[in-house]
Amino acid sequence: MIGGLFIYNHKGEVLISRVYRDDIGRNAVDAFRVNVIHARQQVRSPVTNIARTSFFHVKRSNIWLAAATKQNVNAAMVFEFLYKMCDVMTAYFGKISEENVKNNFVLIYELLDEILDFGYPQNSETGALKTFITQQGIKSQHHSKEEQSQITSQVTGQIGWRREGIKYRRNELFLDVLESVNLLMSPQGQVLSAHVSGRVVMKSYLSGMPECKFGMNDKIVIDKQGKGGGSEDAAKSGKQSIAIDDCTFHQCVRLSKFDSERSISFIPPDGEYELMRYRTTKDIILPFRVIPLVREVGRTKLEVKVVIKSNFKSSLLAQKIEVRVPTPLNTSGVQLICMKGKAKYKASENAIVWKIKRMAGMKESQISAEIELLPTNDKKKWARPPISMNFEVPFAPSGLKVRYLKVFEPKLNYSDHDVIKWVRYIGRSGIYETRC
Amino acid sequence: MPYLGGEETVRELRRALSNPNVQSDQLRYRNTILKVIRAMSQGVDMSGLFSEMVKACATVDVVQKKLVYVFLCSYAALNPELSLLVINTLRKDCQDPNPMVRSLALRNMTNLRLPSLVEYVEQPLAAGLRDRAACVRRVAVLGWAKLHNLQASSEIDAAVVNELYSLLRDPDPVVMVNCLRALEEILKDEGGVAINKPITHHLLNRLKECDIWGQCQVLRVLQRYRPQSEDELFDILSLLDASLVSPHPPIMAATLSLFLSLCSGQPAVSLAALERVRGPLLAACGSGSREMRFTALCHIQLLLRSIPGLMGAHYKRFFCGYAEPAYIKQRKMQVLVELVNDENVAMLLDELKGYCTDVNAETAQAAITAIGRIGRSYSDRCLEILTGLLGLKQDHITSAVVQTMRDLVWVCPQCSDTVCFALEGCEETLQDSQGRQALLWLLGVYGERVSSAPYTLEVFIDGVRSEASLGVKMELLTATMRLFLCRPAETQDMLGRLLHYCIEEETDMCVRDQALLYYRLLHCGIEETRKVLQGRRSDPSLGVLIGRPAEPVSQWARSFNTLEPLRQGSIETDGALNRLKQ
Repeated sequence: MIGGLFIYNHKGEVLISRVYRDDIGRNAVDAFRVNVIHARQQVRSPVTNIARTSFFHVKRSNIWLAAATKQNVNAAMVFEFLYKMCDVMTAYFGKISEENVKNNFVLIYELLDEILDFGYPQNSETGALKTFITQQGIKSQHHSKEEQSQITSQVTGQIGWRREGIKYRRNELFLDVLESVNLLMSPQGQVLSAHVSGRVVMKSYLSGMPECKFGMNDKIVIDKQGKGGGSEDAAKSGKQSIAIDDCTFHQCVRLSKFDSERSISFIPPDGEYELMRYRTTKDIILPFRVIPLVREVGRTKLEVKVVIKSNFKSSLLAQKIEVRVPTPLNTSGVQLICMKGKAKYKASENAIVWKIKRMAGMKESQISAEIELLPTNDKKKWARPPISMNFEVPFAPSGLKVRYLKVFEPKLNYSDHDVIKWVRYIGRSGIYETRC
Repeated sequence: MPYLGGEETVRELRRALSNPNVQSDQLRYRNTILKVIRAMSQGVDMSGLFSEMVKACATVDVVQKKLVYVFLCSYAALNPELSLLVINTLRKDCQDPNPMVRSLALRNMTNLRLPSLVEYVEQPLAAGLRDRAACVRRVAVLGWAKLHNLQASSEIDAAVVNELYSLLRDPDPVVMVNCLRALEEILKDEGGVAINKPITHHLLNRLKECDIWGQCQVLRVLQRYRPQSEDELFDILSLLDASLVSPHPPIMAATLSLFLSLCSGQPAVSLAALERVRGPLLAACGSGSREMRFTALCHIQLLLRSIPGLMGAHYKRFFCGYAEPAYIKQRKMQVLVELVNDENVAMLLDELKGYCTDVNAETAQAAITAIGRIGRSYSDRCLEILTGLLGLKQDHITSAVVQTMRDLVWVCPQCSDTVCFALEGCEETLQDSQGRQALLWLLGVYGERVSSAPYTLEVFIDGVRSEASLGVKMELLTATMRLFLCRPAETQDMLGRLLHYCIEEETDMCVRDQALLYYRLLHCGIEETRKVLQGRRSDPSLGVLIGRPAEPVSQWARSFNTLEPLRQGSIETDGALNRLKQ
């Protein structure tokens, strides 16, 4: 298993180093630094083999996390473990940066002690860890018997994700549908590939051990209901349904019920967690359509006009829109005209960056640019990189709508109506490229 | 690395640690120890502070204890006698009412890695196995594994092994998984834990209670189990069905590995399992993190060896985004080559053509090689693209194209005409030795069809004195000889010059010997020379791309879900091709 775990900053200095097994020596730390961090070429692969030791690494902002092992391990598991470590550290002190790591390195050593024993991952649930490793040190050595048994039961209990006896004055539920829409479009406007990967994140502050049921406009469910009352009803009611390609759930969801009736029922963990992850590739609403027009005028000028059209309800507003139009390497100057937002030519990134704060649906904006080129003898033709876009829209591009989320707590006396529920949809762009 | 400041730092810290004012103020004490650990992390040698740290161990502040233990575990091997002092504190802590303190003490006792301490450690470890708190039991179980690791020669008492086996039935899932791990290590010589029917069924029933790491471990260990009847086999498979499509890639991979090993005798079931896994694998390929995408891609390559049509409809998912890292793009291209068929070939080739002009030279070369491999089945289209690329006059592109054409012609001799036509004029743009070698080989073998061949060779021969690459010189010799055999009038003169240079002036022995061989061959007569030099020009049997027989799953099943797939460069080694051409 994992023989050693090391954390370096961008210069290659070691911030944290912990060795778990004898087969990893002290020079492993240096070997990784010399061969990967300070290597001349770009990173060749996330797994590097140096002298029969394999180094798996993950980079977060400019911090490198590396795991070393000499055994033939499951690659996916080591990466999943590294991601989990990053998640735990983020849950404790926010962004993983050199400063945060240095300020919290006692905490990180404690975590490393607890999460990995002899190189085998042990308990890594953030909730459980937070009860006995806190940033102020352990709260008190003399826990009362009751607290102790609670901690150990959560650490070892059957319903490991929720402990008994949680009480809130206000019972609230926040549902976030976070989607990332990815698009690859050809210059002629044909969709080459598009898919949406989404997650439903729930923050639940509910008392007791409530049973929840989550319903959305899943095509299979609607078809089943439609069959009961004639198939035209479903179409007439005008409700769109989405066909989910595949979805995966948090461990608390009862999969047997999902398989038989396609209903999602579960006892939620307390606090924030991810309920499900899904992916769709059909009937995606593409929030923006980018129409590029590039014209070469001789060898010294390039005229570029980019039109973006927003393709959603006019009452909704898209935010943080950024369009990147790449420019050739031999650009000498750029003149830009745009009516909305601000556009700037960034020479260091070889791109024109056009930022629009807000844009309503069913609207159109355009930018035109005249790019002056330095004459070159290079017969190399500029391979036009695609135009990429970033944005955030307040609806789910896959078409997913939350139909209901019911809460039943038989033992305590609050009903479904007493729970305050909030839903919001956030659709972000993933890789949203239009070739030109 | 602050090697220079090391001595100073150590002295300063020793003063601080021995200062009674510091020792009485808990916060200051802890902060000083923090500085020690920080310096240790950065590589400064802090072993001189061992005795002070041992004294710091006896404290009620648990955080301080943990820091001291980190220090002690790193340097214990250098100070075995002083470490004995720590043992008493540790043994006392093993009796503390707080289970957290007990588990901490037990864990660090076993982390100290000192053979002399073994006798003191055994008794608390044995008591730990029966502790009422689960977290202590977890640590105790792994502690036995560490002990065994430390003293591999000494036998772990059979009573302990039996107790570990019985702890497999512990109510806490992590204890159960730790027992598996410990037994695997301790019984390594005997092949690990004995997996029999009752243990297997017990583990499978409790699989759902374990977390991700536990499940992966259990699934891996179960690979050794052989079900006794078909019914039992199918029972196990249906139980594991949910894990096969798990959202966590490691569990999905581990389950698939287990399926494949259990169904090794039933190929139909294995293939069905592979079909089921397609969805989750595709999802992993689109995952947010690059490393997982890379791992998923490498594993898909393995799967495609057995079911080439598995991802057929989803080939678009493997199109590369512009900003993806080079290693992912290269793997995606390899996968795309496997997915080509009559319907999508036009689109795929179009896509690959776009990647040939990628900024990263290696990716561009990989794209060109991919087009070459597709060319074995669709030679016309690919040749069109390749000749178009030659028109760009870029040295790394031209080099890759020429090498690809050489490989293509070896397998598909019918393309030789187009290739010969395209070769005219590319020697100006070729800079690197690989490309030039390829060009020379082509000119040698197909010289009679390329009209400018003698002139191109003449340029090379004139420059042979300044030629650095050994391979190019060898290839030049062979090519000139071959050309001489079909166009003697034009080549005789320069062949003479070349042979003269190689025999008289060349310092490298390989080149000289080769030239001498050819010289003597020529003396034996033209017929003899022809027989030796004009060997095979092509080997069409080396594989059309489509219609290759699918490999049986068992060939790669064992390397699934390990590091093997990530290490392979590409599935087909073109090295085999090169060896045949000499």
